[in-house]
Amino acid sequence: MNKVVGRAKIMLLLILILAAGSVFFVGEYLFQAETWVMSAGSPHVYNQNAGCGLITDRDNIPLLDTTNDRVYTENAVLRKAIIHWLGDREGNISAPLLSHYADKVANFDIISGVYNYGGVGGQVTLSLSAELQIAALEAMGDKKGTVAVYNYKTGEILCAVSTPAFDPDNLPDIAGDTTGQWNGAYVNRFMKSTYIPGSIFKIVTAAAALETIPDIQQQTFTCNGETIYNEAAGDKVTCLGKHGTISFQEALTYSCNCAFAQIADQLGGETLQRYAEQFQITQSISFDGMTTVEGNITAAGEAPVMVAWSAIGQHKDLINPCQYLTFMGVIAGDGVGVEPHLVNEISGGSWKSYAAKSVSTGRLMSVDTAKTLQEMMRANVENYYGDENFAGLTVCAKSGTAEVGGGQKPNAMFCGFATDEDYPLAFIVVVEEGGSGRRTCIPILQQVLAACKEAMDEF
Amino acid sequence: MDKFIEAFTNVDAAYVNVYQQILRYCLPLLVGVLLFLCIKPLLTFRREPEIWAWLILEDQRRLAITHWESVIGRNKRSDVVINMPAVSRNHAVLTRYDDGSWTIADADSKAGVLVNGEKVSIAELEPEDEIDIGGVKMKLLPISRRQEIKLAQLRTKGARPLHSLLNVLLLTWIQILMCSSYLLVGNEAYAYNVFWGFTGITVSQWVLLAFYFAIRKPSFEIETIAFLLCTLGMAAIAAVKPGEASKQLIAMYMGMALFLGVGWSLRDLERAKKIRYIAAAAGVGFLLITLLFGKTYNGARNWLIIGGMSFQLSELSKVCFVFVGASTMDRIVNRRNLILFIAYTLAICGCLAVMNDFGTALIFFVAFLLIAYMRSGSVGTLALACTSLGFAGVIALKFKPHAMQRFTGWRHIWEDPTGAGWQQTRALMCIASGGLFGMGAGRGWMKNNFAADSDVVIATLAEEWGLLVVLMLIGCIIVLGLFAVRSAAVQRSSFFAIGGCTAAGILLVQTILNALGTVDVLPLTGVTFPFVSNGGSSMIGAWGLLAFVKAADTRQSASFAVRQSKEGRPDDE
Repeated sequence: MNKVVGRAKIMLLLILILAAGSVFFVGEYLFQAETWVMSAGSPHVYNQNAGCGLITDRDNIPLLDTTNDRVYTENAVLRKAIIHWLGDREGNISAPLLSHYADKVANFDIISGVYNYGGVGGQVTLSLSAELQIAALEAMGDKKGTVAVYNYKTGEILCAVSTPAFDPDNLPDIAGDTTGQWNGAYVNRFMKSTYIPGSIFKIVTAAAALETIPDIQQQTFTCNGETIYNEAAGDKVTCLGKHGTISFQEALTYSCNCAFAQIADQLGGETLQRYAEQFQITQSISFDGMTTVEGNITAAGEAPVMVAWSAIGQHKDLINPCQYLTFMGVIAGDGVGVEPHLVNEISGGSWKSYAAKSVSTGRLMSVDTAKTLQEMMRANVENYYGDENFAGLTVCAKSGTAEVGGGQKPNAMFCGFATDEDYPLAFIVVVEEGGSGRRTCIPILQQVLAACKEAMDEF
Repeated sequence: MDKFIEAFTNVDAAYVNVYQQILRYCLPLLVGVLLFLCIKPLLTFRREPEIWAWLILEDQRRLAITHWESVIGRNKRSDVVINMPAVSRNHAVLTRYDDGSWTIADADSKAGVLVNGEKVSIAELEPEDEIDIGGVKMKLLPISRRQEIKLAQLRTKGARPLHSLLNVLLLTWIQILMCSSYLLVGNEAYAYNVFWGFTGITVSQWVLLAFYFAIRKPSFEIETIAFLLCTLGMAAIAAVKPGEASKQLIAMYMGMALFLGVGWSLRDLERAKKIRYIAAAAGVGFLLITLLFGKTYNGARNWLIIGGMSFQLSELSKVCFVFVGASTMDRIVNRRNLILFIAYTLAICGCLAVMNDFGTALIFFVAFLLIAYMRSGSVGTLALACTSLGFAGVIALKFKPHAMQRFTGWRHIWEDPTGAGWQQTRALMCIASGGLFGMGAGRGWMKNNFAADSDVVIATLAEEWGLLVVLMLIGCIIVLGLFAVRSAAVQRSSFFAIGGCTAAGILLVQTILNALGTVDVLPLTGVTFPFVSNGGSSMIGAWGLLAFVKAADTRQSASFAVRQSKEGRPDDE
């Protein structure tokens, strides 16, 4: 009997295996449970590879509910206005927002798992305002391009639409389209397009000049319609007008290409390149799981005429609307900007799991230069664009008409900011083949800014 | 009753949320308390050696006999060591019977056993009979009746009725809470099934307890653990297939009947020894019948359809196998019996291999190892057995790519989460989603998965009720195993020690394969979690095995499956 009793201890081996296996698993659970929960296809976190939860605008107006399937807002115009941020069902528009914050929406911890009181899912509150998105979309009409406004003190993007936009609940025949009406309908132009900036780039050149040429504001420039570099080769910079002798301020206001060609001569390609890079025009911006495309400038080492074209926003210059909007914020913020963001806060069930913080760009420009640019861009509005167009805001701005070549109409560009304490708004408008920046963009902006002002009065 | 159930399904969602929120913390607490109350007596009972008789040598030296079955021999590990050259290593076996009589049996010794000068193979011992073992002469002096009474009084008492009553009340409370939780959130169409599923368990546990009270064997710890496991199994069914609640309940009743039947047959060792032969025939018979008339599901031909009901008779063969493997000491010391047992095991595993049921074959094999080791103590035999299993396994994998797939996916489930790793990756996602306290009844997703109430049932339970509860379920099985090992020391016969350990061992192996397989610590084998997994045959088999564990409970008045002589029950006087 003794032997059997002793040998019965072999059972302890089985017990040990079960206990050790369980302990091993608990260890795996402690260290890897979060990875498991966040894996693609995790049922309580993802729905068709998007995070589960409700996405609302800044005023808790529901935009998209992904808890079960994808249920968009009932407002058809709003559906169009938000399509480039929240994506479509077919995955043609990538909207990484939800999967990026899936952990915050799920609000996982190893004690409670993804349990939410009452089975309520998480909520993502955007900085966007539904009514401003609608206003922006309606202001764009059937034009292609983008319009965006952000609060340069907090970084909140209040509205940003990309057109053409379509209704995900009422899909147009985009693949079979031959009219060109839906060209680039899947692209979020604000984030993922680059444009030849045209004259709005003169702000960069002016800033570089203010930083490096001490007497630039006292200089005058002569414009007789063109500045010739090499008669034989046809190397010249042409101007839209014959401005005669004009000041630095007037050169910016009336967007004189000849004057800026002369400024470029003084700056040189390397300096222009250096400042464009310092102002982060050529970099991408990342926020909320999304990254913009990079801009470009090729001025260093180029022939003087090319440097001159570069200084007026042509040649190989490219800007991304979101990045350039941030640059407007840098000027408005006296040389230090705030990076934009789209998500204000996230709650995972009952708890707030994420709140946006303002991310500073750091100092990119001296205070003096920024302040001078503010004054100069303010003068543009006062003297040329007309204050009556901007809903009573104190707006500083610059227009652009970017030649794109290929027989197409120029792109209309307009960017700037308001200096009002209560309305710290920076904006950018791009209308593809819109012609004159001033004539095409200002009416759009007029509607959007008016709506913004009204909305902010209610915030 | 209609209105009562309807009232549940119409409760306002806000109240349901509050209820779920409270319950998710309360349930692990209640289960924990209940387990503690059940575990403590099972793991703390006294098991000091009890002296049943003395062997008095010629020089008046006394050797204590501390078991009902004792091996006398030269071997140091013998129960009675007589270190003389003429004494064989295992010389003779001394056995006590229920009625207090003793026998001595020769264990194939060289010199033989002489009683009163006559060579015997087995002889009943009368007082003053002179025993001669290899030239050493001795007499057996059993303890007196009075001493036996004392001995019985020293033994740890079984649970007091009040203790059992409180445990069952607590379990009932857990069942009410879980059942209402499913009624509150569940599908109205299945409310009846869920209600009667849980209520059926509650009623049966009270009936069994009442029966135990009636026969004055009120210990209910082992049964409470089993009923708790069944309750969690019912929770998984309520979540996954509420329509099958009644079917599982019927299986549980059949299991309880088997439990009582097997327990009754183990009450009398002589009866149990006779039933062994029937069990041996039945064990192979069940498999042969399945082989001849069985249907193939999911690759294994292990289902028998009788009158629309499907059975896996191999689950019952497990119970038979324990009967066959368990053995008394006088048989253990005889090597021929082990060879017969090996042949029997080969027959069983052969049938299972033909049926393509390798998971079950593995369980039988581990049970075989346990029995073979406890009987022979030979590590060499085990090594040989394991090696041959290795070869058999390699060959099996070669011819059955289906089984191979499970092994190639093992520990690599995240490399193919939508293919081979689907079940286990979903299981891990759902377990993690539930956290320690679960998502709440009916709020899981795992239920949409294949075998969510059987092969991967712990993921379903962890998701809805939390990882803590699942760990406690595993703890339940571990406790049964520990109890079997602990109680081996105080068994009347090695038959019960081996039977109890093997039965608990099978429950352990199934839990190891099921639980650790689900979470990819081991390959997924599709074995059931005893008492928890949905499956009638598995439920019946688990209760049958539990009878062997129950028969190993030798505390005073603890087990109906243990006969105690009148003298051993002072409360009868």
